[in-house]
Parts: sequence; C-alpha cells; structure tokens
Amino acid sequence: MNPSETFELSPEVVALGTRRSYIELGARDRARQLLDPGTFRELLGPFDRLESPWLPMQGIVPQSDDGCVVAKGAIGGKPAVAIALEGKFQGGSIGEVCGMKIATALHLARTDNEKGITTGAVLSVESGGVRLQEANMGELVLAEIYAEIVALRLHAPVIAVVAGMTGAFGGMSLATALCSHVVMTRQARLSMNGPEVIELEAGVEELDARDKPFIWSLCGGAQRFATGFADRLVEDDAAQVSAAVVDLLRQGVPEVFRTSMIDLFLSRLAALDTGRQWTPGDIRETWAKGGAR
Amino acid sequence: MSPTQEAMKPAAAQGRSWCTRREGKLRRLALVEPWMTGKILPRSRIVEALEALLLPGDKVVVESCQKQADFLSRSLAKVDPKKIHDLHIIIHAIARPDHIALFEEGIARKLDFSFAGPQSLRVAQLVEDGQVEIGAIHTYVEISARLFVDLIPNAVLVCAEMADREGNLYTGANTEDTPANIEAAGFRDGLVIVQVNEIVDKLPRVDIPGGWVDVIVEADRPFAKEPIQTRDPRDIKELQILTAMMVIRGIYERHQVTSLNHGVGFDTAAVELLLPTYGASLGLKGKICRNWILNPQPTLIPAIESGWVESVHSFGNEDGMEKYIAARPDIFFTGRDGTLRSNRVYCQLAGHYAVDLFIGSTLQIDGDGNTSTVTRGRIAGFGGAPNLGSDAHGRRHSSPAWLSMITGDSPEAHGRKLVVQIVETYKAGGVPVFVETLDAVEVGRMAHLPVAPIMVYGEDVTHIVTEQGIAYLYKADGLEERRAAVSAVAGVTPVGLRGSAKRTAELRGRGIVAFPEDIGVRPADANRSLLAARSMQDLATWSGGLYEPPARFRSW
Amino acid sequence: METLNFDYPVSGKVPHRAQVGVVGSGDLEILLEPSPDPQAHVRIRTSVEGFGTTWKAVLDQFFARYPAAAAIEINDFGATPGTVALRLGQAAEVSKS
Repeated sequence: MNPSETFELSPEVVALGTRRSYIELGARDRARQLLDPGTFRELLGPFDRLESPWLPMQGIVPQSDDGCVVAKGAIGGKPAVAIALEGKFQGGSIGEVCGMKIATALHLARTDNEKGITTGAVLSVESGGVRLQEANMGELVLAEIYAEIVALRLHAPVIAVVAGMTGAFGGMSLATALCSHVVMTRQARLSMNGPEVIELEAGVEELDARDKPFIWSLCGGAQRFATGFADRLVEDDAAQVSAAVVDLLRQGVPEVFRTSMIDLFLSRLAALDTGRQWTPGDIRETWAKGGAR
Repeated sequence: MSPTQEAMKPAAAQGRSWCTRREGKLRRLALVEPWMTGKILPRSRIVEALEALLLPGDKVVVESCQKQADFLSRSLAKVDPKKIHDLHIIIHAIARPDHIALFEEGIARKLDFSFAGPQSLRVAQLVEDGQVEIGAIHTYVEISARLFVDLIPNAVLVCAEMADREGNLYTGANTEDTPANIEAAGFRDGLVIVQVNEIVDKLPRVDIPGGWVDVIVEADRPFAKEPIQTRDPRDIKELQILTAMMVIRGIYERHQVTSLNHGVGFDTAAVELLLPTYGASLGLKGKICRNWILNPQPTLIPAIESGWVESVHSFGNEDGMEKYIAARPDIFFTGRDGTLRSNRVYCQLAGHYAVDLFIGSTLQIDGDGNTSTVTRGRIAGFGGAPNLGSDAHGRRHSSPAWLSMITGDSPEAHGRKLVVQIVETYKAGGVPVFVETLDAVEVGRMAHLPVAPIMVYGEDVTHIVTEQGIAYLYKADGLEERRAAVSAVAGVTPVGLRGSAKRTAELRGRGIVAFPEDIGVRPADANRSLLAARSMQDLATWSGGLYEPPARFRSW
Repeated sequence: METLNFDYPVSGKVPHRAQVGVVGSGDLEILLEPSPDPQAHVRIRTSVEGFGTTWKAVLDQFFARYPAAAAIEINDFGATPGTVALRLGQAAEVSKS
C-alpha cells in the first residue's frame, strides 16, 4: 500500500511502497513469482500429501509438501522448472521426500533437454543443509542432487537464488555452488558451515555467532558477489530477482563453470599468506582483481 | 525556661547538631581527598574510594535504567563486605549480574526498585534465599519522587558521557534520570559520584554544573546502555497487524487521540508502521498521533517522514538514532549542540498529565481487567507502566479524547486518560494471558509484599484490545458488565469461555464490545505488506540513511 | 506429537480446496477440502500436547461462523489459538474466492 502524499518522500522510500518483497514470500509464492505469470503448475503439491514418513515417528509434525515446492512452467517464454525450499519448515532442511522432489525435478528437466526441449531450472535455496532427523537419506539424496545439477547444467542453465533470511548452508551451499549461476540479495548468506557450528568448534574468539555484521561480512550476499562466488546481487525486490533469472537463462550455458576453475581457486588459496589475519575487505580487493570469470 | 525559649537557644547549647549530613559528607570526602586531582579520582582507586566514601547501611542510588553506571556497580561489587555491608540499594532497573552480586556478597541488604527484566529470575531467587529485603517495587518516577522524601540517598553512583576539569557534566542523549538523581543527593549533602566515558577540555553542552558533583572517575569502558525500545519489523506478526488496525480505527480515530505514549512492544511498533499506510487510507493524517511521549524508536521514522508527527519527548535514547535526531530538531528535543536531550522524570510527568492515551502490553489480565507482568518464579517489576497507565486525577485541562471518556451526564463529570492494554489472548506454549487470579497475588504473598504487585489496575483500564476485538471497559456499567466485556474479548481462555454468546452479542449491540467486523476491519487484510517498513533496512531507507541500526539488528 | 480428531454436523458447501500457512515455529499449515460426507471432519497433528479442549473451543467458534462441510487437516507447530483462528479464517476466505 502506498503512503498518501508522496511529494515529500524520496524516490527510494516511494519505491519501498511499490516494490514487492521477495524475502517475505513463502516457497510456493516464490516458485510462482519465478515462473512466467499463468504458467505455474505444481507437481506433488500439498494435496498429494507426500510427506516425510520419518518425522512423525520422531514426534515432529510434518508439512504436506515436505518443505519443497516443485513447479513446471516457463521463464521468459521457454520451458523451465522452479524448485523452492521453505526455510521456515525445519530450517529448509533436506530429507528423503523433499530431496527426491528436487533430484527428480532436475532429472526430468534433463531428460526433456535430451529429447531436444531446452528446459532450464531455477532453485530458490533457503536451507541449513541435511535434515538431521533423516541424516543418512539426506546425505544420499544430496549426492543425487549434485549429480543431477552437474548433468543438467551441460544442457541448460541451473540458477540458484539465495535470498534470505535462512540462506544456503551445509550440503545445500554445495548444491548452490554447483549451479551455473548464483543470484543473491544482501540479506542472504552462503556458507558451508553455520556460524554457530564454527563458534562451537573454534571458540567465540575466532567467531562470535552473535556478531551479525561480522557474519554477513564473511558470507553475506554483498561479500559473495564481490569475491566472485555469486554472479548477481539484487535488492529484495521480486521484480529484480525475476529479471536477473530471466536474463541469466537467456545467456545460456556458460563457457566455463565456476567449479571447473580449479587452478584459479587453488592458486588464490596458495597465494594467501596465512601468517596474517585477512579481513573481508582484503579478500574483496585481492580476489576481485582476478575475477571469477 | 519555656519550650520556645528552649528552641531558640544556639544548637550547641541544645545538645543537637543540625548539620550531621554536611559534617558526615566532609569527613567522608576528606578520606579520599589525598587521591584526587580537583574532582577527578584515578580509576585504580575506585574500590578503596567506595570503601572510604560509604558507610554500612547507607542508602545508595545505583544509576541503572536504559543506561547503567556499570563501572561503578562492578566496582561496588568488589568492596570488602566486612567494611561495607547492609547497603540499601535504590535502583530503577536491576539489569546486571553485578547488581545481583551486591546482595549475594552481603554488600547490600535492602532493595527498592522498579524493574528487573532479565534479572527477574535472579531477584526471585534472592528473595527465596533470604538474601534481599525488598522495600517495595515501584514505578520509575515513583522512585525518583521518593528520593526527595523518605529514600533520600547518602550517595548516588551515576554515569555521564563526559566531564570537564571543573567537574561539569555532559549527559547527552542518555540524560535519563541523572539530573533527578544528582539533585536529590547534591542538595542534601549526599555524595555525587560519577563515572564518565572521558574527561575533556570543553563539553558540547553543560547538563550538570560541576558545583553539584563530588567525585568523577574515568571508567574502564563506556557505560553500558540498551536499545530497549528498538524493535525489528521483521518480527511483527499478522495478528499484531490485525490488532494495530483495530487500535487505529476503533480507538485512535474514534476518540481523536492526538497525544500519546506507546509502551514497548511489537504490538505498538505495528501501530506506528501502519499509520502511513492504513492510517492514511482512513484519512487520519494530521488528525491523530501528533504529539508523542516516546523514546526515539526507529519504527516511528516512517510516520515522522510522512508528516504525522509534530513532536517527540523521550525518556532515554535508542542507539543508532543519533544522526537522524540531529537532522530532525523540529521533531525531537535537542540541545544547541544537536544531540538529544532526554529526561525520564519530565517525560513520565508528561506521560501522566499531558497525554490523551497510554497503550501497552502485559503478561496477565484477570477477569476485572487488573494486569501484571509479575509471574510465578520471576519478580519483573513494573517500569513506567503504572504511572503512564493510570488516570491523572489532578488533570484539569481538556482535550477531545479526554472528554470522550465521559459517560453519563453528571454536572461534576470529568474526562479520563485512555489507558489501553493490548494483548494476544494466549502467549506461546498454550499459556493464557487472561486468568481468574493473577500470579502476582501469590508472588506478592511469597515475597511478603504488603500489597499484590499489580501493574495497571482494572479501574484505570479504559480499553482492552485482543485479536478477538476491543472491550470498551470505560462504558461498562458496574462490575458484572465490566467482567462480561473482558470475557467477550478473552477468546477461548477459561475467562473467555465463561461468557455466553448471547451476552457478547448484547454487548456488541450496545457498543461496549467491538469485533473487527463491527468497526470495518477485515482480518483477511492483516498482512505484512501493510507495514510501511518491513525490515531494519527499510527503516534505514526511510531515514535517508541517517538511522544506523545497532550491530545486533544488522542482517545484511 | 499429538493427533486430534473432531467432527461437526454442518453441511454448508465448500467451493474450492485451500492450503494456507507453513509448519514453522509458532505457526501452522491448513489443508481444507470439501468433505466426502455432509459433515465437517478435522484432523490435527500438533507439537504441543494436552490442549484438546482449547482446540475444540477454537473449532466450535470457527464452525459457528463458517458452517461448511469441510475436510480439514491441520499441521501445527505450537501456534497460539489466535493464530489458529486467523489461519482458519484465511483458509475459509481462500476456499470461497
């Protein structure tokens, strides 16, 4: 809703009233947003009741879609599949059912590509990684997800959107990194280990998990973009997120995948003088010079 | 000799000194004088100095509300209990472990306070273990008042931003209670001991003259302070947006509330963030919410920028707001140096006599509308609510809102302050807010308090707002009707279930109770997209980048 | 986790099925569909045990307002009765639109 009498307000504030927050959207609305209007068709939705069989056994209330929305549709007029994780359900964690929904969706996209129908994929990642209550299955299905991403990305772009507030951690941070392109907001974080785990393992002197500005300076969207781990940095604006995804899909399969630039990243690590404390700003300066692409 | 002649003899001849406090003060100060340079005491001497300056049984004000004289309280906790013991501590808010340590160590024995917050559990434990004797739990300004009557301090331990070499003090944005604390001691031969962040040559402005100050020490680190009223819009839930819509429509609009105080909480933050959107859609800008008694909290920024707010007077500061305040001197109370001037006593006075309305949340409400934040196992205290949330019988000036509270047509009729309690019917974990008997009654008994620690009395509550609707208690005729009105908005709590649908319908028909649809509010519209700002970043954008959210709120 | 079942002898029509909410902390998910028979059936799975009477009171109020023969599934992660009532109202609105 717009505030009335906008004549006194700055353009940024007026924009606040008109833009639609992407972060505020739940998984289903995100998948809907990422696909062209009117093309959203959900597979294995809530009324199919494909829930986790394991959570109720452990006294945990399941969600009808196991926290994962898979929808077929179009992006920029071309066939695409949208996959969105619900960060508010069990931290967006990967269990048997939601993991298989992701892996199978990617697999179906690949087989369509192999039949000659170019089909891209966009993943809205809000996940802490493997669901501990389904640990072994979570690990197994993540392996399937990685294999599917690596295979699919040869045919069509696989785009990860990490927007917040959950972010992409654990095994799903690796899945994100395997994607052809990564879109992030400033509010998002991308990191293998969570801050609490790092503090637990390495001590509060090393990393205070309550120090939010510090955490975001290490793995927040702005830092990841500035150091070449994310390809686009967008505002929390649904239209901007969609536009970035449309554009990246249109660009097609990249010539080189970030995960193939092994020499580049190894040489960067080798060049780091571990005798001194590096700051996020240092890393931005040093690595941006090289560039990820 | 006649009694009159007796009384007129010189003091010495009568055998009584009339200057015991002054003589005592001079004796105490003489003990530390060798260590001082002017009024400045070296930091390393603070514990010894406190042992010399204080005497067992002294009444000592430990400054702690939003800002805390923590260097002085940490130092006091280190004195030898054999030398300094059984102190009577007077403190607005017990906030720190070192405050608790004073009682555990036997340095202090008696306690008069207002609010406990995070230490509420520890205070309850101290009571249970017999380590503290509570004088009373007060409202904030009531403690300040007693500093001039029967809790006159022997010493005050206060904090300030800066001092100059003459001992003048700059208290800055967090001035809060310092002027009142110092006044009570400074003019009755109590000791004024101040910790400062730094000693400078020239102050930005003089808030306290050096002549009122006895000992100044530069602390080991800047004094602690809490942005206690800052709330992150991300945490505002749909139910709070629903109640906020009802407040704006069913209370602010209906009663034409132009001056007000919002108690701390997400419920009230939601109201502030709905003014530029929902409030504007009702055409209410300029008609309501113009003059505020409120800390400079960031959730008011959109309403200020949109032209709703004429003035804000504050109890204290909210970290990160300094640049915004300096850029908006038409709105806030600022010195010529550009920084905020807060003053808790004046602000509480204003919140008592000069506002149309107080609205705040609470933890429990009983069937009669009495409310309390004191619950089993915790002694949380009241803060400012009893003062802000009570009618000011001494008020004589009128306003449309005050007059709208008149029911009946007696020639001696007078208005009232609108006192609104806003709650959800249940807290997390299935705990009902509406109860038959407040926990406070039992806690009061166990802590041997003379009266139950009630925060706001039912007789002062004019409105209760829940997610079910609004109870216009001021309209209820008699106790039975009041209890029925409370029950009608108490949802499915036991208090709510003892009402009948028939009685509720009748009360709704007479306008004593209103459900959302009765005042044109649709629960389906209660959506976060209605908030003018939905994150701390949005608030920073609204402020043109002038608001700098503290680290704990920075998730980007 | 506790499972609760309630039936209501109501027969109003349910135009569309609806899903609202997320099983997040303090929140709940509701699936609402037309009931196969002329009654309403509610199945609740909740993480907070022992509040059967509270659930019934909330549902009593809901069906008094929306007497529809609905099959309702609720997956609850500790939502307050106020939040439950809000989501039920939202589900009812979505099913009518």
